[in-house]
Amino acid sequence: MSMMDALVRAYDRLAKRGEVPSFGYSSEKISFIISLKEDGTPASVIDWRDTSGKKPVLRPMMVPQAVKRTVGIAPNFLWDKTSYVLGVTAGEGKRLAEEHAAFIDRHLEALATTTDAGLLALRRFLETWKPENFEALGWPEDMKDQNVVFTLESERREGINIHDRAAAKASWARISAKGDKTGAICLVSGERAPIARLHPAIKGVWGAQSSGASLVSFNLDAFTSYGHKQGENAPVSEHAAFAYTTVLNKFLAKGSANRLQIGDASVVFWADGTQAETAEGIFAALFGDAAADMDGVDETSEARKVGAVLDAIRQGKRLADFDPGLAQGVRFYVLGLAPNAARLSVRFWLEDDFGVLVDRYQDFQRDMNVEPKSEREPNPPIWRYLCETAVLKKSENVPPNLAGDWLRSILAGTNYPLTLLSTTLMRLRADKEMNALRAAMLKAVLVRNFPEFKNPQPGKEAPVALDPDNRNKGYLLGRLFAVYEQVQSEALRRQINATIKDKYYGAASAQPRKVFALLDSGSANHLSKLGKQRPWRRDNLEKLIAAIMDAMAPGDDPFPAYLAADQQALFGLGYYHQRSEFFKSKSNEATDAEEAA
Amino acid sequence: MAYGIKLKVSGERACFTRPEMKVERVSYDVMTPSAARGILEAIHWKPSIRWVIDRIHVLKRIKFQSLRRNEVGSKASARNIKTAMNRESLEGLHLLVDENRQQRASTILVDVAYIIEAHFELTAKAGAEDNEGKHLDIFNRRAARGQCFHQPCLGTREFPARFELIEPDANLPPAIEESRDLGFMLWDIDHEGDRSSLFFRAKLENGILAVPAPTSPEIRR
Repeated sequence: MSMMDALVRAYDRLAKRGEVPSFGYSSEKISFIISLKEDGTPASVIDWRDTSGKKPVLRPMMVPQAVKRTVGIAPNFLWDKTSYVLGVTAGEGKRLAEEHAAFIDRHLEALATTTDAGLLALRRFLETWKPENFEALGWPEDMKDQNVVFTLESERREGINIHDRAAAKASWARISAKGDKTGAICLVSGERAPIARLHPAIKGVWGAQSSGASLVSFNLDAFTSYGHKQGENAPVSEHAAFAYTTVLNKFLAKGSANRLQIGDASVVFWADGTQAETAEGIFAALFGDAAADMDGVDETSEARKVGAVLDAIRQGKRLADFDPGLAQGVRFYVLGLAPNAARLSVRFWLEDDFGVLVDRYQDFQRDMNVEPKSEREPNPPIWRYLCETAVLKKSENVPPNLAGDWLRSILAGTNYPLTLLSTTLMRLRADKEMNALRAAMLKAVLVRNFPEFKNPQPGKEAPVALDPDNRNKGYLLGRLFAVYEQVQSEALRRQINATIKDKYYGAASAQPRKVFALLDSGSANHLSKLGKQRPWRRDNLEKLIAAIMDAMAPGDDPFPAYLAADQQALFGLGYYHQRSEFFKSKSNEATDAEEAA
Repeated sequence: MAYGIKLKVSGERACFTRPEMKVERVSYDVMTPSAARGILEAIHWKPSIRWVIDRIHVLKRIKFQSLRRNEVGSKASARNIKTAMNRESLEGLHLLVDENRQQRASTILVDVAYIIEAHFELTAKAGAEDNEGKHLDIFNRRAARGQCFHQPCLGTREFPARFELIEPDANLPPAIEESRDLGFMLWDIDHEGDRSSLFFRAKLENGILAVPAPTSPEIRR
């Protein structure tokens, strides 16, 4: 099924439950309601914002669909911002007069023959309103440039606005049915229908324009074909265009349970089936913020079920084994959107049974498994890994395509992007920090992308924990480097500002032949100094160095001039494993010393 | 099919752009019939024949990749070119790339291979000496030799296609094991009519996409 098809079906499902606005209406943030008396004079102004917090928060309301305004003057029906409705604005207002006039003209024309009380009141209001009345009536200053709607004074208490009245709805339906329509085959439904010329804007994608971006747009010459203009290039019926943009706006809204932000990709996901909410909750927990995990505080049965399934997944149990209904009965859809100024590009689109996605997540977990795990964050979310590839570990510095590509490869089960490997190696060379997260990323790319590691032969696998029998060149050199660093730090104790890792990591991992002779002679000095303080420790370290060098075959170029990227990754992995081994034995030594004392 | 051919087409990248995602390109999962027709026409075509695609086999797993390219936002105007031709001067006929930059992201297919099963029909422009056998021989000869009018491409010109003729009685390489509903796919542009886009409901069955005939009611008009 194509992406738009799936979105339209999601809209239909939500519309049946009443969670999305029906055709012709959109959810817009409204600040104030102007209450009118029957004769059109304004009675009062109600602040509709949420004033419970420090700053008033705008609340959304269902209003007739917002017109797409870029540079033209186009008034909305029965609501708009104050420059159109009242002719007042806080700013300069160069076109204020035209905007206000446009609003008045449109409504006088539309409501010319109305007999409904509410619409009549509005018409009389517009006929008699002057912008100076705003100051005269003493209306609040922060009402300027906000969206306003109207209500009848008599109906104010019930919360019925003028655009909610039956007559207004009928009017709006009549107006939106008119217009310049060309019928053509819609590529979403396959039926002949009037084609949308412009698609409504999609708001909420991180990094895109705040006024909304378009998924389907043809605003420049180079994008059009066969002489078609705008929406004719891709015939999508108005109903389908409304449906997919409305449902995307709903999913992308702040606080929605259907979206995640991973790098620069806004990921929208939804499920179809009996256990849809459970599946969505599980997906959000697996890929999203770890802090959003059910911490046991949320006691609803839904949250508990999600928590139980999550634990089982994290332990590696196959979803199909312990919950087949969830695995095969739920169809899951994932859409990754990335911004490009006023347009959106689709990074990836996946649609599969939920069980398949969970299996792929577990494959990913297995690839990333490195011992020892990070103590502080044993199960970090994906954005945390991505921050490790960024300059200064800031999420806005994550390389642009990497997040989308990586997530797509995880969910589709294909090879990881090699940029993951190259960026991690680059960060290692730059800030010389090796931690569990970076080691995990290196190992994952090795295991999945490089065929020799897919068929484990002795000495050829990318190991999870320290593997003394592994004879891979990069791995051995990494271990050796860690031992040299340990020797130096034990010999010089607290007097080192920059260890050999800070000075030589980049060179040792990329061009070992240049550097290892130097490191070896340096280590000889450190070992002799260590021997004068603690001879037994020097013996242990010398034995370790000998063991590593034993595994190297002299005829096989053990210190190559250059190491390729996959070998550099093994270097990093070996370094991490060996160094962690030292931390473990250090903590053992400390406990031994405590016990002895 | 008596006058049918089978051609194996492969390439490193492909982009069969969806019409609705034309700007930030997203490819269809599978080759479109119009792209297949384009490849066949690059090998052999005359006004007297019309290629009709019957089936498309997908031989390799469907994988995507996304990349960003710097392109331009405007087209060279046909009217300007015409006036320049009449005036016989190149003045004013330029496109300044620096002022027109647009960066567009594309989500394209990677490592593709298809088998196109098609046949051709004679059109109204076929003359007395045109017959199916003649054109079939020409096509087979040219495809076997690798001859083409211009390099066939997989959707857009920057993704060239390698082609290889499959003999009528040879075994076909196996298609992928996937079966799913691909939604509405572009069948072709109605060049003889009003240039509107024609769509059909595409279903992948065991890796084979069956393409409806031009007169079939499955094509929504």
